[in-house]
Amino acid sequence: MISYHPDSRYLTDFATANLPLAEAVCVSAHLEFCGKCRTHVQQLTDVGSHMFTRLQPEAVSEDSFAALMARVSAGAQQERAPAVTVAAEVAADEAAEAAQSHVFLPRAVRRLVSGSLDKLRWVQLGKALRVAPLRVSDESRDTAIYDIRAGGRMPEHEHRGDEITVLLQGSFSDADGSYSRGDFVVRHAGETHQPTATMDKDCLCLVCLERPVRPRGLLYRLLEPLVNYRLQRLNRSMA
Amino acid sequence: MSSSEDNNAGSLRKALAGAGPLGQPDPWEACIRKVAQQQDREEFKKLFDHYAPMIKAFLTKGISSYADRSLAEEMTQEVMFKVWNKADSFNPAKASVNTWIFTIARNTRIDFIRRNGRADRTIDIEDIWHEADSPEPVVELQQRRVETMIRHAMTTLPEEQALVLEKAFMESKSHNEIAEELALPLGTVKSRIRLALSKLQILIDR
Repeated sequence: MISYHPDSRYLTDFATANLPLAEAVCVSAHLEFCGKCRTHVQQLTDVGSHMFTRLQPEAVSEDSFAALMARVSAGAQQERAPAVTVAAEVAADEAAEAAQSHVFLPRAVRRLVSGSLDKLRWVQLGKALRVAPLRVSDESRDTAIYDIRAGGRMPEHEHRGDEITVLLQGSFSDADGSYSRGDFVVRHAGETHQPTATMDKDCLCLVCLERPVRPRGLLYRLLEPLVNYRLQRLNRSMA
Repeated sequence: MSSSEDNNAGSLRKALAGAGPLGQPDPWEACIRKVAQQQDREEFKKLFDHYAPMIKAFLTKGISSYADRSLAEEMTQEVMFKVWNKADSFNPAKASVNTWIFTIARNTRIDFIRRNGRADRTIDIEDIWHEADSPEPVVELQQRRVETMIRHAMTTLPEEQALVLEKAFMESKSHNEIAEELALPLGTVKSRIRLALSKLQILIDR
């Protein structure tokens, strides 16, 4: 049962394709779990489509159609070739994903992890948590997969920027509630929390951070530069 | 209309949806079908003449802060090229032709902006904004009804609400960008858009 959804701002900015790419990945992932939000996005797209039909048309140049058909005729072979490659790549990804685990990953996440969670570069942070950064071509945000061991507890931390978490598997809870598969959880700058995975299952999350979070405990504050250093080094080596 | 579509569910859907007045089929569906099945260039010309000027108008508004207006012409051709190539993936059960083409134009625009920004993309725009989001059949039926309803309700919106919708959907601006441009608090923009959407019976955040 999904209880936490993106608000109207996220859904509208998603439907108009105006959301930062990393946040759009999070909304897109949630939509695959949530029929209600999918319907909203379709309704919003219909609003756009309706306005689109009411625009004052702008004449295209006279030779535009002829040029297009020349391109269709000339490029039929070459233009179609990349599409086949992409489709084959997607199929290969999906096969790899299906083979390696039983975790369902939304399409956008599947592409970002190249089909398999095992291929990611995991950084172990303490006993209960490991993190794998994802490259989303969005410099304003850090995107990562968090894997919290069943019953594991993350360090209590405060957010310096907004954080979106989409639960891909398992569940976790914090002082404000408990969250399960498909939930879209937003924490705003200044909020503090300490998520704990439920006992029976590992918890897998897609996380998008506006800026790095600041762990609160002295130990973690001391560790933070090290963690950031390791993540940065990893990001660099992936780039 | 093919005979397979001419069943009860199909007729009901037509009655609820339709690009024209209630009960009338979307005239552009047949065009797309002929393009898909027979690569019919005459039918495609009709689509082009109708949609290309709308697409150009949309792109001109949507890329003005990123690029020269002349680029809109080139991108319009790109959108229509995709329409030609993807015609066989058009599914009238999921979207009207208007919505389908609008979606392609929207994705082409965001793809352009991303490419313009940087080349090293690890994910395709269509992995995020899927064209083929498929709701469950029951939801779909409700959805078609909503599409008709939206069309009627749009005309009744107060001007300040219509304005923010126009900026979001046609000028392709985010809530933040609209707030900045109109010198309004983000919360005001958000509530205006929410009010407008709830008048259109799109009830989010409940």
